[in-house]
Amino acid sequence: MSTTQMLKGIIDGCILAIIHEKEIYGYELAEKLEQYGFDSFSEGTIYPLLMRMQKEELVTSTLKKSTAGPKRKYYSLTSKGEQELRQFIKRWKLLQSSVNSVLKGEENE
Amino acid sequence: MSRELSKESMGFLHQLKLYLMSDGKNEHEIEGIIEELSDHLQMAESQGKSVHHIIGQSPKEYMAQIAAEMNYDKKAWIKFIVTIIFGVFSYTILSRSVEGNLSFSLINAAGLTAIVAFLIWAVFFMFKYIAANNPSKAKEYLLFFLFSLVSFALFIALILIDQRVESPTISFNGPGTIIISIITFAFLLWISIWSKTWTVLIFLSFLIVPDIVLKQTSMDINTQISLSTTITLGGIAVYLFVVNKKNKAT
Repeated sequence: MSTTQMLKGIIDGCILAIIHEKEIYGYELAEKLEQYGFDSFSEGTIYPLLMRMQKEELVTSTLKKSTAGPKRKYYSLTSKGEQELRQFIKRWKLLQSSVNSVLKGEENE
Repeated sequence: MSRELSKESMGFLHQLKLYLMSDGKNEHEIEGIIEELSDHLQMAESQGKSVHHIIGQSPKEYMAQIAAEMNYDKKAWIKFIVTIIFGVFSYTILSRSVEGNLSFSLINAAGLTAIVAFLIWAVFFMFKYIAANNPSKAKEYLLFFLFSLVSFALFIALILIDQRVESPTISFNGPGTIIISIITFAFLLWISIWSKTWTVLIFLSFLIVPDIVLKQTSMDINTQISLSTTITLGGIAVYLFVVNKKNKAT
């Protein structure tokens, strides 16, 4: 299984978490993901994901004038998005501990 | 801050726009994503990243991903198709009523509708194919040529079938023809004002005015027909050339 395949789903949760920190626009979000180490996927992938999250009403966007010039779309979480993020964190913690225990068992053998 | 985008990025944005438009997506949403991506590409390029870093190795796949998340604009589509079909009928009605009393057979009306619907579908299919696969210029021209050939053949076939097969026909007398012509003309005028282009009326005048003017002369009928066809096609060609040049200039 490739990293990209493993990432599916997980990346959604991470995007929610980053948007939760503060209102953010596309490029900033892509850069943040890259800084956190998600550099194996192409930056543009976030846009279809953001579009879907917007349709599912997890995020909303507002157009704001940036200091430099063009209007930018800033994303923020809806209450439904916050709820989804909490669910994700729960699921992730469970998954993480399960995977860790499996791998620990594997190492000890 | 209007940093120039690289040729490759510009090309991709054009391609994406064409792809989404020919897929019948909502125009407002298309503008939105194009703006967002163009902003992203500008920033990425200013930091030395390539287009492929943004959209991955396959533009086609990326375009499909975006398209999958977008809504169809059904209302705009229906409006568009109905307008085109009515527009084609208007052309036919006006150019025939110039020749005398108007009559329409069922085969003619149904055939025209079917052909136009098919051709609209074919145009969109063609543009989507071009946007997704980015073929060579030669291939593109070949495609356009084939398209014109097929549409020409379909119209000729319709005329031939209509001549050979009897079907219920609506005919109008003199005053009827005039009334229908006026209504049709008003419709075309309305479309022109609504779409804010005069293309429809300009095409129409190239199609009809030569006929009317030449009829007043004492030229023989064959000269009249060939002259009027030449003026119609030549006029439309010149008009398209001028518009094209104007568009490139701005």
